[in-house]
Amino acid sequence: MNTPSGLSMFAIPQLHLQLADNFQSQFWQQAESAYSHPGSRWQAALNQACLEGFLAWIQVERAANAQAWVKAASRPSFWEIVNGAAINFDGGRVILIPTPAIDFAELRVPQEWIDLPSWAGDYYLSIYVNLDDGEIQVLGYTTHHQLKQQGHYNSSDRTYSCDSDDLNSDLNVLWLSRQLCPTEILRAEIDPLPQIPLEQAENLITRLGNATQLRPRLAVPFLLWGALIEHSGWRQQLYRHRVGLPEQWSMSKWFQAGISTLGQQLGWEMIAMEPAVVLARGEQNTTTKILLRQLTIAGQPYELRVLPKGDDLWRFELHSTSTNNIPCGVKLRLLTEDLLPFANHEDIALTATDRLFLEVQVSPGDGLVWETEPQPDLFDREILRF
Amino acid sequence: MRSRQSMLEIFSTFLCFEDDLVTRWIVDGKLRRSIQTCLGSSREDEASPRFWALYWHQTWQAEAVTDRSSPLGKIATNHLAAYLQEVCYWSAQKIATDLSKKQLISDFFQIAMIKLDRVIKGFKADRGTELKSYASLAFTNAIKDTLRQRQEVEICTDWALLHKVSHKRSIESLQQLGLNPDTIAAYILAWECFKTIYAPTGQGSRKLDKPDLAALNAIADLFNRELGNLSNAPARCDGETIFQWLTTLGAAVRSFLYPTIVSASQPKSASDSSEFLDDFDFTVQESLLTQTIEQEDEIDRDSQRSQLQKILLRALVKFNVESQRLLQMYYGQGLTQKEIASQLATKQYTVSRRLTSVREALLTALCTWSQTTLHKTLDPNVMNDLSVTIEEWLMGHYSHPDLHTETSKR
Repeated sequence: MNTPSGLSMFAIPQLHLQLADNFQSQFWQQAESAYSHPGSRWQAALNQACLEGFLAWIQVERAANAQAWVKAASRPSFWEIVNGAAINFDGGRVILIPTPAIDFAELRVPQEWIDLPSWAGDYYLSIYVNLDDGEIQVLGYTTHHQLKQQGHYNSSDRTYSCDSDDLNSDLNVLWLSRQLCPTEILRAEIDPLPQIPLEQAENLITRLGNATQLRPRLAVPFLLWGALIEHSGWRQQLYRHRVGLPEQWSMSKWFQAGISTLGQQLGWEMIAMEPAVVLARGEQNTTTKILLRQLTIAGQPYELRVLPKGDDLWRFELHSTSTNNIPCGVKLRLLTEDLLPFANHEDIALTATDRLFLEVQVSPGDGLVWETEPQPDLFDREILRF
Repeated sequence: MRSRQSMLEIFSTFLCFEDDLVTRWIVDGKLRRSIQTCLGSSREDEASPRFWALYWHQTWQAEAVTDRSSPLGKIATNHLAAYLQEVCYWSAQKIATDLSKKQLISDFFQIAMIKLDRVIKGFKADRGTELKSYASLAFTNAIKDTLRQRQEVEICTDWALLHKVSHKRSIESLQQLGLNPDTIAAYILAWECFKTIYAPTGQGSRKLDKPDLAALNAIADLFNRELGNLSNAPARCDGETIFQWLTTLGAAVRSFLYPTIVSASQPKSASDSSEFLDDFDFTVQESLLTQTIEQEDEIDRDSQRSQLQKILLRALVKFNVESQRLLQMYYGQGLTQKEIASQLATKQYTVSRRLTSVREALLTALCTWSQTTLHKTLDPNVMNDLSVTIEEWLMGHYSHPDLHTETSKR
């Protein structure tokens, strides 16, 4: 059978990594209101330790460009509902599965990290987290392909598991095999998820967003659950409901009272547009406030701008902020909340250009999702509420 | 300890401890009959112990494919257990000596022997290394790992332990209590509910205290809401029942992860052989015998091992003094990463990183060599095997004069 040596986990010295001395005191301070119940708060502590510890190592020792999949502010919306974190590096993707279990018996991966197309990774790392001693220990890894082919699916907690004996225990092999056997099949096929209509999504968010629903990921059939949370905007909303936060992406509130904390943490800024610039485009002679956030697309810096044009008309612009123009083929796209296209919802750079833009008429309460093609780094869809 | 000479002894006797001292070798009559049959009927009466170890390992492998618990598979396991007695003893003795606390060698010996099945499973003859050197590495690390786990169990409350046990081991702990699958499923659900509702909420997760009544009732509420998902739904339960279940589970986990070792003063073969060996017909598997002869020839003919040595030695001398010292401490003195860190007044993190990068250099050298010189197709499993080979080699290189390669007498 084509599996690594049993007991090699014992045989090979494992990577131990240290956490910052103040990790715990920092974590518990900020985690107080970020999670709905003690179990998820504890889960978050393990995940954050694991992510911080491993990311620091991989950036120094293996891939300077390694990044956590989503920004820090988005992470609680994962850990409130599921165990695990992701890091992207050099075209590869590792999923970190922390465990506090001292017996090192198995790797147990929540189904979400295997069967949701945008969540799945190439490698799955089993990481022991020992918060009391401030350290983590990498126990071994396997691949999506192996877990899907040889792992055991547990319907009771919707996980794929494999014995630690079947893990590849030498982390050096992960990197070396990327160089020496680049044709290794890392991923198995994933069945597509259904699209769920807006109304159903809203019902699910209301129902599963109730904090008394303590095990939301097991409360509805997986396909439904998966389709809901794979949409990052809905995942964020679900989280918001569960911890009792008000709407964080309300454009009218942002323009009246300033950007929400979460919006700021995710990179949104508000600036006053120079009247001269506005005038040049034939607008009224008043200072206009506009929203913007920085993006990195294919290694180049960009800026996404959102401009209110009055009477529920909104303009979205994508600018290149380097000296380079936006290359041919890049797209800026708007979608309805449930990710459906509409008329004139997309602008594409047919030739290299300095900006892409779209204008859209909204009704109060509408949600819009923006995206670009190629996707920006650390992309996590958000629903802007008008 | 008197070392065993004859083939009969090597494959049929077990160490006997009295007051933590080895006093004699105890013969297992059935194993003796078995090995006698083998020696008598075989043309290979000049064969070395290594040959028979390979033979029994092959037998084990052949049986494991079809039936994990076949009598022949068990005989093979027991012969290998006998064969590995000294290796196991030296691994146990070394660790017991290294530890400052008074520790029983016989206890460590047993800890290691419990892992025998996994050692046999993990050994691959085609790596070209010795079963003894692999076993030495695996026993040593198994003992260390068990000690680490026990230490953690000792300082955790039962409630903390419930957060620090895997799903797999929780189920196994309950199975050991003899509970039926439906009851186990109910306990596991209660345990999941416990972990959701009641968890460490700050520093000091090892000292987690008993949940209060409100928490227990909340756990019971959640359990009652979720019990419909079980295939044979149990009755609804209250906080009191939950408390009892969790207490039972906590104790079960504790004794599963830190079993009380039975006195080792009795001769203890890994065998519970009596009942199944009585009417067993000992015969030598001719086909396996031929296979083993071929395999041994191949290993002997193989100049790869000496080449491999050269490659590793060449890579090794390139390391700086610091790295050499680190390897000496880790493999030679058998210190843990933590112990090395405290001796070098550095962080374990630094030790770990350096060890990883030293091993990476060795693995890269070996992989490149087997790809370019041997034209081997590498895949991650092959690379993992190479990695284990490096481990065995490093351990042999830095320690264990007692494990010098047995040369074939043939």
